[in-house]
Amino acid sequence: MLPVIANDDQHNLHAGPTADVVATNSTSSMSHGKVAARFSFKTILSGASPRDPATLDNEDQSQHYTFFPLALGQILRQYAVTELHLTLNAGNWNYDRWGYPQENGVGTGAELWAWMGEGDIKSVDERWRGLRNALAGLFCASLGSLDELRTTSPEQSFVPEGSLPNWETSHKVRHASLPSEHVCTENLTPFLKLLPCKSQSGIASLLNPHRLFDADWHGMGVHVLWREEEGVELRLTFQAVFDPLRSGSVKKQDWSLQSLFDRNIHRSCPVARTSQVVSTLPTDVAYSISPEPSSIEGNVAIFDVKSLVKPLDIKMEWANSFSYPLQYHPDSVPFSVKRTLRGSSQAWGQLSVVITNYRPSAVHALYLEIMPWLLQFLVHTLEAQVDGTVRDGIISNLTYVAPVPHSRPTTFQVLLTLPPQSTVHLTMDVTKAFLRYTEHPPDAQRGWDLPPAIFTPLELGMNNSAAALVKEGRIYTSALLVDLATPDFSMPYNVIIFTCSVIAFIFGNVFNLLTRRFVVVRLEDKKS
Amino acid sequence: MATSSKASPSTYEYPNFYSSFFAIAAARLWLSSKNLSDTLKHEQVLSSPLTSFEQLQEGIHLFKHGIDPYAGGSFRHSPLLLSFFATLLPNSRWLASVLWTLNDLLASWILVQIFRTRQNVRQSPRDTLIAASYCLNPYIFLPSLALSTSSFENTLLLLTILLACKGKTSATLFALSFLVHLSLSTTILLPPILLLLATDSFSHLASPQPTSVKIRRLLEFFGESLLYFGVLTLVSALVAGGWEWIPQTWGATLTLPDLTPNTGVWWYFFTEMFDHFRPFFLMVFSVHLIIYVIPVCLKFQHDPLYATFILVGILGTYKSYTTLSDPGVFLSMFAVFPEIYPYLRHPIVTTLLHLHASLLMPLFNHLWLTQGTGNANFFYASTLVFACAQGAALVDAVWAGLRIAIGPPVEGYVIVQE
Repeated sequence: MLPVIANDDQHNLHAGPTADVVATNSTSSMSHGKVAARFSFKTILSGASPRDPATLDNEDQSQHYTFFPLALGQILRQYAVTELHLTLNAGNWNYDRWGYPQENGVGTGAELWAWMGEGDIKSVDERWRGLRNALAGLFCASLGSLDELRTTSPEQSFVPEGSLPNWETSHKVRHASLPSEHVCTENLTPFLKLLPCKSQSGIASLLNPHRLFDADWHGMGVHVLWREEEGVELRLTFQAVFDPLRSGSVKKQDWSLQSLFDRNIHRSCPVARTSQVVSTLPTDVAYSISPEPSSIEGNVAIFDVKSLVKPLDIKMEWANSFSYPLQYHPDSVPFSVKRTLRGSSQAWGQLSVVITNYRPSAVHALYLEIMPWLLQFLVHTLEAQVDGTVRDGIISNLTYVAPVPHSRPTTFQVLLTLPPQSTVHLTMDVTKAFLRYTEHPPDAQRGWDLPPAIFTPLELGMNNSAAALVKEGRIYTSALLVDLATPDFSMPYNVIIFTCSVIAFIFGNVFNLLTRRFVVVRLEDKKS
Repeated sequence: MATSSKASPSTYEYPNFYSSFFAIAAARLWLSSKNLSDTLKHEQVLSSPLTSFEQLQEGIHLFKHGIDPYAGGSFRHSPLLLSFFATLLPNSRWLASVLWTLNDLLASWILVQIFRTRQNVRQSPRDTLIAASYCLNPYIFLPSLALSTSSFENTLLLLTILLACKGKTSATLFALSFLVHLSLSTTILLPPILLLLATDSFSHLASPQPTSVKIRRLLEFFGESLLYFGVLTLVSALVAGGWEWIPQTWGATLTLPDLTPNTGVWWYFFTEMFDHFRPFFLMVFSVHLIIYVIPVCLKFQHDPLYATFILVGILGTYKSYTTLSDPGVFLSMFAVFPEIYPYLRHPIVTTLLHLHASLLMPLFNHLWLTQGTGNANFFYASTLVFACAQGAALVDAVWAGLRIAIGPPVEGYVIVQE
């Protein structure tokens, strides 16, 4: 287990719709000595509801932006977004060793998905385009690149986390991801500006970019959703996995806020309703924690930042030095996934997915691939092997939306039935596209990042119906890199000239023969 | 006339044709049993995105699972081929290679028949040579081993020509409509084949006379083929359940959405083309194919089979998604016109150019895409050499076809153009 630090800030506003700000920082030590930290800042705009796209022509009703960030709120209102999830991550979340993350969205790079009501005034796609451009401006990220080349509607894997208003029109999901976009300081600064106390006080003051972006894994998330009873909820999250063993000279997994973030909490955020640091306590080894937690629930220690003495530095120390475990038991994850792209050719290859089910019972999961058109699947070659033999009944319920060259991505989704305690090898042949020279990025030889595949474990209904319940969170595989054939970028003029010359040469010769008459000429004999 | 000297042996039997044809067939069947298709299926010079067997299988798979194969994706085969393969024909790799071989044997037999019809003989000593020139032509049998559907297009092309030579109007027009349906570029063969249908297929190269075909008759033929074409289009729409197959199949021929390398001149040109000039040059390249039709048909109006032959050569060089079998059928058709051999100006240069290009193309393709030691220009350069080789063969064929009318060279005289 990781130590989890949870920060919790909550703000109250009395008049009108209230906004609550809750900040939590949770930390937990993982079995291999790493520390997972999650910051979560929750603002609830009580009684508010998302904008109905049918009212986009009318003037919007006034909103309270006392605590709810105005910059984000205006975007949500202008594009009538019901639910929004934006995550920016760097690195691969290692499910096999770290277990499930506390926030599900850990796919490499940028991922944006939103549920929006359909409307006649502005279509979902129009508003989606506006939304991603507005968010690109707000968070200084290349979200504008999440265009038609990457946008899909995977409804089954991305179900709304909140509730959807009961309007006359239905809701649609739009999803896009950009694995090459990594989170960095320029994204954190606008993120901090959305917080009511910025990074001046409270738990947010621990968000020190020098330390966060030095972590083994780090990512931020912006989640907006609507709960019918409560109102609009904004959750700003930041997750990071630190390695205290890396910096410490002694081989001990001790950590403190000072050692992890190079900062202490000097004062609490005055507008936060609650503000807590939550730490998971080890169960089977000797340790000490200081200061004394405000309360302990099970194996979780809770520190109330408001009431504890400042400056607050929470320290956790182990009695013994750390030794790396020989085996990892990821009991929280039902299966582990390895996805690779095989083949040395730049024209074709094979996608290989190895899934190991650890559980003693069969596990069902939705396997979703959203692939830019650069890599095209040959679905007829899809094959599932268990222990080297082809087995039927593992793949079912194929949903396939073929790509459109130079625009739409592929959506490929199957329902997998993973036999108990066995390893399933999925293979599928792929062809790699040949791009126009203008479609290549400036560093074309580097290759293209392909988005992670998404596995959603399912609890099936009575009759294997598609209306299955999502049991646990999504599991993201690692991103892939595909090496596409490149033309010579310095050659456009030469190619145009060469090809046209050959064509003109043949054309000229043929027409010369066809149009000029043949005549017989008598040769003059020079001697006579 | 060239035919008169050949007409006399027609009473004589050549039993060795059947035995040698059997030997060729046995050799081809043995090759097909070697299961080379797995190694050859990724060779880009052998099958284009429009003719690849892998894509065909993908389309059949999607079709059988109730997913429209034409709703995007890279399936670009005609709905007619899709329905044939999805219902009648076997889906096994082994049976498919036998089918492809039998198809090639049929095509070579048709080619022999075309020659016999042209020479107006029942048998000839050249039969074996002609059958071998098709069946053992590496440009023909390698795409066939890679299970490229261009082999079927070739057979249909030769069948159309044979039916036209025999004067079977409706059958010719139906086969022609089918051919155009499978491969849109073959539209340019429509005028010479209609002319061929209206006249005879005998060699008039040596004694050119203006043709006396009535335009009205040609228009009737054209109307009938349009009718068949409409019917086939409707059937395709029924099979595909809509009209989305048109931009996927015919549209691809004109707009080149897939830039996979092939032996033609289009792919690298449009890879390197500036975006704002792309539609213009797509138009230029398509119109460029059509521009040859009228001059060739006018100049060879006395021998429309020869005009067809020249236009097949144009297609093999300039159409958008070529495979080796497109130039292959042109080269094999040289066997039908033995009368022009003495008048070819540079057959050795043409042969050497072809040898050069056909050895370098697979090599450079491999160096670029698999080894990573060459770049795109290597393969592009070899396709340019290939285009030159095709051009040399084409120009030589045009020259010989016109030069033959003047007769054998005489000491002290030269033939020049005005």
